[in-house]
Amino acid sequence: MIIFPFYNVVVVSFTSTKEYFEKSIVLFPTKPTLDAYRLLFKDGRLLVGYKTTLLIMILGLPINMFLTVSMSYGLSRQGLPGKKIILMLIVFTMLFHGGFIALYLVMMTLKLTNTIWSVILAYGINTFYLIIMRNYFMTLPEALVESARLDGAGEWRIMIQIILPLSKPIIATISLFYAVDRWNEWFNALLFIRKPNMVPLQLILRNIVIESILMVEASSEGVGSALALDKQIFPMGVKMAAVLVTMVPVMCVFPFLQRHFVKGIMIGAIKT
Amino acid sequence: MGKYSKNDIRFSSLWNSVWKARNVYMLIIPGLIWYLFFAYMPMYGLTLAFRTYKANLGIFRSPWIGFENFVYVFRDPRFFESIKTTLIINFGRLIFSFPFPILLALAINEVRVGRIKKVMHTIFTFPHFLSWVLVSGIMINFLSLDGFVNSIVKFLGEEPINFLGNQKLFLPFVFITATWKSAGWNSIIYLSAITGIDTEQYQAAEIDGASRLQRILYITLPNIMSTIAVMFILAVGRLMTEGFDQIFNMSNAAVRSVSETLDMYIYNITFRGAVDFSFSTAVSLFKSVINLLLLLLANRVLIWISGNGLFGSKEDLK
Repeated sequence: MIIFPFYNVVVVSFTSTKEYFEKSIVLFPTKPTLDAYRLLFKDGRLLVGYKTTLLIMILGLPINMFLTVSMSYGLSRQGLPGKKIILMLIVFTMLFHGGFIALYLVMMTLKLTNTIWSVILAYGINTFYLIIMRNYFMTLPEALVESARLDGAGEWRIMIQIILPLSKPIIATISLFYAVDRWNEWFNALLFIRKPNMVPLQLILRNIVIESILMVEASSEGVGSALALDKQIFPMGVKMAAVLVTMVPVMCVFPFLQRHFVKGIMIGAIKT
Repeated sequence: MGKYSKNDIRFSSLWNSVWKARNVYMLIIPGLIWYLFFAYMPMYGLTLAFRTYKANLGIFRSPWIGFENFVYVFRDPRFFESIKTTLIINFGRLIFSFPFPILLALAINEVRVGRIKKVMHTIFTFPHFLSWVLVSGIMINFLSLDGFVNSIVKFLGEEPINFLGNQKLFLPFVFITATWKSAGWNSIIYLSAITGIDTEQYQAAEIDGASRLQRILYITLPNIMSTIAVMFILAVGRLMTEGFDQIFNMSNAAVRSVSETLDMYIYNITFRGAVDFSFSTAVSLFKSVINLLLLLLANRVLIWISGNGLFGSKEDLK
């Protein structure tokens, strides 16, 4: 039940358009073909998407981790005046937010729309991950920090040289969560970015796969017209090739990292 | 005189501890700046609901007009319809999708071979890590007029079914795909609750000759009841926000009347129609407030039944 839709994607992407329409049920392509992939790469948009998404990850992940780690570590220290207020302000952002219209207008005010930074900065800190991380730091013995402080080490040095080496598992887990979120991100880009050469992968996929098909389905119900989009519509094989190419990185990495994801949700679950 | 000096001492000791912690503040400041710009500025931006938007003045300086935007919002029948749609879709999802992870956890737990268990676990959790763009791509392929399901329907000599453009089929389509995507991931919490159950109870039951089903009904289920309750309340708290990604990628013009949730409505009036940011922001503010109330309610109930709120116990915030 879970696997079959995936399998079908693979089959369709290797089936020629002719066979797709002629045979009633395709369980296995009689003559597997790479035509769909050739067409897809000739179109080139998907490559642009890959490039943009990689750029967002290369720039965005370090920012995510820097903001999250330093803030959660700072907030895990004892005897910090005003800590309670800061924590309450942070938790409040989980309960109440401005919504995407207000965020869009703020981005316009900051003149960040149509730059890669809008997408990177819109998702700077995930408060849920921040709290998970802080909970982890709270379990580390305070004596560790105190002795380093007596040796005259500054807070940044304590964090980098003493705390971080002890926190590898949680850092790995949270980085993974951020990486997956970044990979799957599309809505912020849809809002903020209008330049076709700066569109991330998921949004390209959306353009290739969803928009045109939904148009066709809608038009067969007598609403709208597919004619306007006729030229852009790819055969299903190409669409599924695009789906597969987007999915493959997650698919390759996932079985090895699943353990970490589960660990992450467990740490969070203990607190909820 | 004495009173002043006492205050002075208190102030200077506060100042001392602030000064002592100055380096810790440096750690927090980058994050705080982010929150200020990208969480609190949009929140303040919601005041646009009480202003009339002037492009040359921007969101923070446009003139105030009071509740006028809301007068228009409450006159728009599409607004009320979108609230109705949101409630129908989300309650439906709650009723339909909520039990599946529990059943799945019970089923996986009955698998005795460790390796098979692990492989099943991996396969079931995988779809959670795909975006809704991808998942709807997969589902559209599977269910389109020439897709696999319809090729079987045609093979059986029936007319192909238009799954995606049919108003009656849209809701089941949404519920089933949502379950397909996230049941595995959500079952993890239940699975861990099940692993935490004292094995002695099972051994005693086995000696008494209890069947598998009896063990599930009388030992496993009662033991994870509190987890189920917590998860249910959390799901209620998310009623207004969940599912935008999914609806956005699966809906189309043909099913608009059953798929335009509040978020979709906000998006459609802002980016697919005549732009009126004040109006959109008013709807957006309305949604955020309802959402806040729901979450606070969920939090109250959680504290009441389990002693822990949404954000852990009170001590966690110290």
